[in-house]
Amino acid sequence: MTGSQNSKGLEKADRYYKQYGERAKELKKEGRKIIGYMSALTPVEILTAAGVAPIRLKGFMDEAVTKGDAYMESIICPFVRSAFDAAVKGRFGFMDGMVLPHQCDSIDRTNEVWSSNLNLPYWHFLNVPHVTGGPSIEFMKEILRVFIGTLEKFLGTKITDTAIAQAIKAHNENRRLMRELYILRKQNPPLISGVEMMKVLVAAMSLPVDESSALIKSVTEEVKKRPAPADGNRKRIMIIGDQIDHIAIPEAIENAGAWLVVDDLSIGVKVYWPEVDETTDPLQGIAERYLRKLKIPTTFVGEGDTYEENLEARFGHLKQRIAEFKVDGAILFIYKYCDPYGFEVPAVKSYIESGGTPVLYLEDEYSTSTLARVKTRIEAFLEMIA
Amino acid sequence: MAEEKKRRAVATKTAAGIPKFVRGNLSATLRAKEEGKKVAKAFIHDGHDEIMRAMDIVPAWGESFSGVCAAKRDAEKFLQKAESDNFSRSLCTYATCHIGFEMAREEQGGAMPEGAPWGGMGRPDMILGNGQLLCDPRFKWPQALQHYLRDVPVFVTNMYYPPWDPNVDHHEQEKFYVKYCTEELHETVKFCEKVTGKKMDWDRLAAVVDLSDKTWDLFVDTYDLRKAIPTPMDTGDAMNTMVPITFNIGTQEAYDFYVELNNELKEKIAQGIGVADPEKYRLIWAAGLPSWFALNDFQYFNGKGAVFPVEVTYRDHEKIERLDLPKTNDPLERIAWRWVRYWTHWYDAARKIPGSTPKVARIIEYFEDYKCDGVVFHSAFSCRSWHAGIIHQAEVLRKVYKDIPILIMEGDIVDISSYNEADTHNRIDAFIETLEAYRNKQKN
Amino acid sequence: MGDIRYYAGVDIGSTMTKVVIVSDRIETALIGPTGPEHRKLANKVMEEALKQARLRFEDLSYIVATGYGRINVPFADRQITEITCHAKGLYSLLPTVKTIIDIGGQDSKGIRIKDGKVINFVMNDKCAAGTGRFLEVIADSLGVPLNDLGKLSLEASRATPISSTCTVFAEHEVTNQLANGESVANLVAGVHESIATRVYSLVRKLQIEKDIAVTGGGAKNIGLVKALEGKFGSPVLIPPEPLITGALGAALLGKEKWEKARLDGYTPTRSKEGLQEAKLFT
Repeated sequence: MTGSQNSKGLEKADRYYKQYGERAKELKKEGRKIIGYMSALTPVEILTAAGVAPIRLKGFMDEAVTKGDAYMESIICPFVRSAFDAAVKGRFGFMDGMVLPHQCDSIDRTNEVWSSNLNLPYWHFLNVPHVTGGPSIEFMKEILRVFIGTLEKFLGTKITDTAIAQAIKAHNENRRLMRELYILRKQNPPLISGVEMMKVLVAAMSLPVDESSALIKSVTEEVKKRPAPADGNRKRIMIIGDQIDHIAIPEAIENAGAWLVVDDLSIGVKVYWPEVDETTDPLQGIAERYLRKLKIPTTFVGEGDTYEENLEARFGHLKQRIAEFKVDGAILFIYKYCDPYGFEVPAVKSYIESGGTPVLYLEDEYSTSTLARVKTRIEAFLEMIA
Repeated sequence: MAEEKKRRAVATKTAAGIPKFVRGNLSATLRAKEEGKKVAKAFIHDGHDEIMRAMDIVPAWGESFSGVCAAKRDAEKFLQKAESDNFSRSLCTYATCHIGFEMAREEQGGAMPEGAPWGGMGRPDMILGNGQLLCDPRFKWPQALQHYLRDVPVFVTNMYYPPWDPNVDHHEQEKFYVKYCTEELHETVKFCEKVTGKKMDWDRLAAVVDLSDKTWDLFVDTYDLRKAIPTPMDTGDAMNTMVPITFNIGTQEAYDFYVELNNELKEKIAQGIGVADPEKYRLIWAAGLPSWFALNDFQYFNGKGAVFPVEVTYRDHEKIERLDLPKTNDPLERIAWRWVRYWTHWYDAARKIPGSTPKVARIIEYFEDYKCDGVVFHSAFSCRSWHAGIIHQAEVLRKVYKDIPILIMEGDIVDISSYNEADTHNRIDAFIETLEAYRNKQKN
Repeated sequence: MGDIRYYAGVDIGSTMTKVVIVSDRIETALIGPTGPEHRKLANKVMEEALKQARLRFEDLSYIVATGYGRINVPFADRQITEITCHAKGLYSLLPTVKTIIDIGGQDSKGIRIKDGKVINFVMNDKCAAGTGRFLEVIADSLGVPLNDLGKLSLEASRATPISSTCTVFAEHEVTNQLANGESVANLVAGVHESIATRVYSLVRKLQIEKDIAVTGGGAKNIGLVKALEGKFGSPVLIPPEPLITGALGAALLGKEKWEKARLDGYTPTRSKEGLQEAKLFT
């Protein structure tokens, strides 16, 4: 058997996408510790510095929740339920531990459900605050120290500031490489489709940072070399949401005759745009990135003097992406039972529309079984903006 | 019907004073402007109560407003108003009901929407939120509301407590959590000073905090009287008598209310008057906000001889001495310690029961102290905060304690369309049969 | 044949299949059940329609499929969603309409139109509340034929409040009320009220403008229409045959596509597939 690393670029991304965690399994055999995590809020720099292989958990949109529902109520975020269901079914059997950062109620309230049902050797709930002022940065550094302490205890090694600083560099580089790949989507038609990109994003979050960077690089090279797709006369769509990690959604958009050219997803632009500043105390830079630079609805932004100022701080980046990627229409894809995203639908929708970009708001479960309706809406939206 | 009559005869007289509190709180927001006071849209259990009381800021309780709409079965029009601007029906209905109300008022140029219960609630001058661990709407609702009230400033405090982790010593973490909470509360005071244009009177704040402490102790002592058999007061009543401690903490009226309730319960105990006659089963309401439009369900339980001498909901207090709070001269630090310890003191209890969690340790303690026979949870459709993780609590409870009868009811706090009376009553009937069977099994 | 060209629209809804053939006018309109056993048989309805119009399949210049089954009509040249088709079809019949409410078998939707073009739309989520399915379930448990609900509800002394929007819960509720002696007419009126409320809160997300038209199976229920008029505070318009607007729009859009292609200098080729069964669920 050859390792999973021997294929190149897109083909490799496709494989890692389909066999999610394949590489983690191999690394585990080689003796690496594997730590799973949820959400854009997990400081992966620290996991990398600890020498473990971090892998972000994903859901399985085309699989019914069959085991997880015995432990988790149906009012919990359907994505969280799907990922948990996959975990209890043993999909992530290679994990030595998990980090669950406090993103939202659906995670906070299920911490004990996860930890007691998975019963992993290592478990950590990282209590990331919802606000971003001075005291919160100091607090964030405190909880990062607690986190580091528990990892050190589990691994029996010291995580030095130097190692963290190196990890920061590696992850910043990884983000820069992914942004380079995104840039190829600015062309019309984009050089890489939304479906392909989804596979790359998912594959990338299943790998140690150096391997992830190598994968992105090889995809970029391959895409640059191949002939550009011919059909340029299609609407250019942006998708906004949290963890959409299944190709069914980009497929629904692209099969309806549009290009998915950019996103604001928690496995995409949200994590690849902001970098960690290389500060003297590396935890300072990490705290600032995760609290102040990540644009997610669970972080309250209210430093501005007026509501409008805060709107710019919360959503200004969306208008930037819309301009850079020449977006014709935005799809707001929000999971049911999601208070953090749900409560800002009117604000984000009207903010984007005020710039002249039409918005389609979709609320759905995390399931391909309900996609027929979603497809009709996407098609009708495209017909409307045609 | 007969059941209902009997129930009324045994409900506490003191509880009859509750509507006065609720109306009083609403009308205070309407009077505030002429009295020269500022109104803050605020949340319960956010650590803001004493700050507001000491600064003469009038709290406008969104949860209370929506709860009243729900109890009057008249929330639908506000829910629909919010829905019309794409607030999903699966979001917290306390929030969407209140936001719908404010949307309607703004659309009418500030005129009170028709059918607003009890005269409605005043327009806020500020919105206070808290990004603590109790729920996401506590910082998303203020933000969403400001979308319609753009001139109203928002401040979100962050008050965290250490997460439960059996492998981590939470005592080591308490200090920096308290430091953070205290700093956040100081920021909150600065914000309130800016909006009101008045400086905080720190002595007054200290006095209000002391009054809260005293009220908490009295509240717990009073509720402990319900340990008596038969119990003189039921959770059905407690869903009313929670109003002063929840919405009026830090006021003399709240304290006086529990003096009166305390006296009444002692009298009832002396006379042997119970909620149900005969009292057959004692239950703990182990989690969940009630369906405010279906409080009669408690009477349905009572009619079957089942009573709730204790509930977890709205008992967000324990005796001060039990919390073992470090001394401090800063009343805000006192609030912070009280807040953090209120959560962590259950961690010590949980550590003593392997495999347990703080929530379950608490249920077990109450279950034993109040000599209960069964456990009832309520799962509300639109609220993740209190209602996610209930299945797990039930599971752990069975595993680490014993295989006691457990009922999980389903409904919502505000949205009546998620509730089915016939089905609920059927489940209660079946649960009562389980209690009976369990008792017989225990005997054998 | 001369210069007359024919275009067909096929609307495969969840319960009904509709075919409209147009030239410069509506040549024929036909409605057949989609029902489980008929699902594959869009071709049969098309054959019927052709027979009625005395046309052959080869006479059709362009065919557009719409409705939830649109993907699986092998003989169609193009698929367009029911949203766009409804707007088009209705605009051709009632050009003053700005807001369309379509109450179908399994979904309901609101469409805002301006100059015959969709400017905004909403659809209900997967729940059956506010759709024809809800009516069907209730009609069934009350033992009243679906088509009689409308008339029956006009005899009601009041609309019994139905608080559950969940179809299953509402069915319970209705059965209980029935046992409590509530009249069937009042219950039916209550159910209409409940659907109208759901539909209203859905469509309200659009900036509703008059005139308002109601289409789909729901438009044939006089009780429901009255309830909707109450909610919207305005009379509504109903096209003469409210079921066919989607198929009509599809045919008209086909005509437009074909004519535009001709202006651009080419003739669209017809799909190579003959008139055959739909390949559903393959």
